[in-house]
Amino acid sequence: MNHATLPVGMLILVICALILFKIFSARRGKSLFIRRIPGLSAIDEAIGRATEMGRPMMFSPGLLGLGLPTLQALSILKHITTIAAKYRTRIIVPTCDSVVFTIAEEISKEAYTNEGVPEQFNPDDIRFLSDDQFAYASGCVGILNREKVASSFLFGYFYAESLILAETGHQVGAMQVAGTPAITQIPFFITAADYTIIGDEFYAASAYLSREPTLLGSLVGQDYAKAVLVIIIIAGIICTTLAGFYPSWHWLTWMDWFKPVSQ
Amino acid sequence: MYILATLKTFLLKWFPIFTHGMLKPGAPWYAWLGGIIGDFLIIGGILFLILRMVPARYRKSLIALLTFLGGVPYALEFFWPASKGGDNFLSLFVRQIGDGTNVLYSFALGLGIFSLMRFHANNLIRKRPGWHNNLAFFVAFFTMMLAGFANSVHHNAVNSNVFDMLFGGIVSALGSTMFSTIGFFIVSAAYRAFRIRSGEATLMLAAAFVVMLGQVPVGAWMTSGIPENGVWANLRLENLSYWILNQPNMAAQRGMYFGIEIGALAMALRTWLSLERGSFFEKEL
Repeated sequence: MNHATLPVGMLILVICALILFKIFSARRGKSLFIRRIPGLSAIDEAIGRATEMGRPMMFSPGLLGLGLPTLQALSILKHITTIAAKYRTRIIVPTCDSVVFTIAEEISKEAYTNEGVPEQFNPDDIRFLSDDQFAYASGCVGILNREKVASSFLFGYFYAESLILAETGHQVGAMQVAGTPAITQIPFFITAADYTIIGDEFYAASAYLSREPTLLGSLVGQDYAKAVLVIIIIAGIICTTLAGFYPSWHWLTWMDWFKPVSQ
Repeated sequence: MYILATLKTFLLKWFPIFTHGMLKPGAPWYAWLGGIIGDFLIIGGILFLILRMVPARYRKSLIALLTFLGGVPYALEFFWPASKGGDNFLSLFVRQIGDGTNVLYSFALGLGIFSLMRFHANNLIRKRPGWHNNLAFFVAFFTMMLAGFANSVHHNAVNSNVFDMLFGGIVSALGSTMFSTIGFFIVSAAYRAFRIRSGEATLMLAAAFVVMLGQVPVGAWMTSGIPENGVWANLRLENLSYWILNQPNMAAQRGMYFGIEIGALAMALRTWLSLERGSFFEKEL
């Protein structure tokens, strides 16, 4: 199993401390700025489009089980479902994992209840399709085509099926907003979707949408952590370059401390 | 250290209760199945009872405490130095928690199957448009299930062939067919992406052109006149392609990785310490 070396462990603890510090400062009422993320702002536009067209929306939480990307996708689903319930717009959520299906069903039910329209919730709109990758993809393609989906949201961890879903969404004329932490799938979403949330913007989504102080604080803490990493990288580049000129100065190779230790 | 070792021995001996305490190796499959269900019901029942007994205002704190305790072995296992074998004293325990989680996870599959059945049965009973597809689902579901059970309970040539024909001949083939459609989708997506609309799109088109040409023999042939060594060798298409993929592209990918991993770490920290609010964690219990 993977274990932290002392420098890596210390670095992780520093990053955690920074994030926690900013979370608690935000909770104490410190106001924090968050820049506009076009992809996340487009979510409301996509819901509005589906409402105006009187057609349903589709939300895919990806192919992963209940992991961090899926939890993040579900928190975005909560936001979308709440607005959809307010405007009485139908949202179909196909899932490929039975645990995710259960949580998605609960989230949707709660959103409709909170908006005072529990009777609008249709259990058939939250569907478990299959845990097989391409069976799930073909199920989603079927929904996109049959239901004439007006807006499609693809949030979560995707694999090769990402292009199938995004291209089919494009073919049926759906407005698409996609976000994934899967680096290899981001190019496909950029190509086929109208808006794509790239990299860590995906994990910033819940903070951006809810504006909740804890999440905003965490986001600012993440930025500080990234600044620490950038400083380490720049210092590492300088020291490693100098080590080429001064091989006897062993301390210049301190970047090697962060390399994994072979067991 | 001694306390942790004792706790580990205790947990391994008594949890799960049925499968470790009552079943012996070689017990029939139904005994194992019953044991697992028994473990699930007993542990789940105890947790549910505790949750119901605790006053409503302390329930969130209890869940926060249990969440924290659930994450402690993973965090400790990661930070505790490993021995030469690559494991430490908690590694086995963490693996066993993972196995237990898988068992719990498998119980949820029933909920998924119920959802599928409900959806298709509703459409079939009401004879909604496309009801024959819903009927096809039931036929496929029960045929595959029967073939799977028959093959595992009475493994003979007939059952094995039927199962292989259904799984290898139909399910896998359908998956491969779906996968192959990506080839067509890539063409249509690439056409849109590579249309020259802006400076960025032009740059991407040029980079993609060089990378694609550098990957195929004709690309190497086109610049084969350039010497293989020296400064000019950098202009050979295969070298340009390699440089684009491994320098600017890799740097951008690693930049994204840093952001994603720190985002994931922050979310894991918030979930572990029950700091998450504003999404689906604010529900009253």
